[in-house]
Amino acid sequence: MRPAGTGPGLPEGKDRDLDRLLALVARGDEEAFVSVYDQLAGPVYGLIRRVVRNPAQSEEVAQEVLLEVWRAASRFDASKGSAATWVMTIAHRRAVDRVRSAVAAAEREQRAAELPTGGDDVAEAVEASLEQERVRRCLDGLTDLQRESITLAYYGGYSYREVAALLGGTLGTIKTRIRDGLIRLRDCMGVSW
Amino acid sequence: MRLFRHDVHALTGAYAVDAIDDELEREKFERHMRRCQQCSGEVRGLSETATKLAFSASRPPPAGLRDTVLSATSRTRQLPPVVDRTGPRARAHWWTGRLPMLSYSLAMATVGAAIVLLIALIGARHDLDQARARNEALAAVLSAPDSRSVTQTISSGGRVTLVYSLRKHAMIVTTRGLPALPPGKVYQLWFIGPPTTRSAGLLPGSQAGRAGPVLSSGLARGDTIGITIEPAGGTRLPTTTPILLVVTHG
Repeated sequence: MRPAGTGPGLPEGKDRDLDRLLALVARGDEEAFVSVYDQLAGPVYGLIRRVVRNPAQSEEVAQEVLLEVWRAASRFDASKGSAATWVMTIAHRRAVDRVRSAVAAAEREQRAAELPTGGDDVAEAVEASLEQERVRRCLDGLTDLQRESITLAYYGGYSYREVAALLGGTLGTIKTRIRDGLIRLRDCMGVSW
Repeated sequence: MRLFRHDVHALTGAYAVDAIDDELEREKFERHMRRCQQCSGEVRGLSETATKLAFSASRPPPAGLRDTVLSATSRTRQLPPVVDRTGPRARAHWWTGRLPMLSYSLAMATVGAAIVLLIALIGARHDLDQARARNEALAAVLSAPDSRSVTQTISSGGRVTLVYSLRKHAMIVTTRGLPALPPGKVYQLWFIGPPTTRSAGLLPGSQAGRAGPVLSSGLARGDTIGITIEPAGGTRLPTTTPILLVVTHG
């Protein structure tokens, strides 16, 4: 059995707190939305920045996502997953939509060229917490191929086909590496679902 | 233990990190998941795991974002809950909110476009001497009873706002923040119809990141409006992948 609520992100209690807050948001409670914003804006923006890279575009996407949380709060169903996951799924989807259109493919090079941002590394370092450290340690526990596959797919916004092309594996291998790697991460981080 | 189809089941991980770009493959997996409790349970756990990865990438959002988002809530109507009782099959996947988001973007785009065009129009009206006729043409499109406006973000950067009227057979284009092109290249507008594709003119160079408003005539019912990057002077037919395609309605 896996221990509950010891993973990074939100402590278990906070997680349920978010579920409850989202139910209030669905009824138009703006104060509850402020709490949701304050808990999730950092991860939403950080994830989008990892995928999209361009700061101005990332801010735009983050704005759309957070407003969508307000707008669609009634569609969140706590029986199907946590509130944090509902929001992060929307954020990841929107970030990937931004970079994964047919047109965007041609512009990936340009994106890579814009890559060195630096600047707020200091702020980033401040955000680093023990929990982030734990995620990093769990990632370190994966095989190189598992870690690279997951990182490219989730933080890079690449499809598993693209990951296979980048890493030179077969589709079957990459699918399996992503799954095995995530299962290992889940167990290492003590995700309790 | 019963054997399950490995190829489908192995997709739980890719699905949880949204790495299936083939719509058909994703739908197929979602159908499979509805029958396979083991799969949906696993996807759930792996999705929660991915959320931990998101939290570990957390970074302080830009200073202005909080005010922008919080003030937008007071102007944004919320979706009603789903009370559909036709059963789970008819319901959308719980996290695919893309279609509603699109209509929301469209609504916001309309408001944005109206403001942009209003500014453009007011600005243009100052040049009374030469611009009156052009302004009247712009105003005719803007005030046409069937005029529609669309704002789209271009993935390489910038936004394009179109206002068109099929009744007036015309459209107005303004852009903001489109990347500057290398010398010898130009943005070209297109009316792409089922019978023919016609050039709708070139975008002028941008000033302070803005270009337009450009008025183009010759829009026909059923046309799709497109923008491509072409050699200076433009071409007769598009030669590159469009950076924008907007299907006209009405």
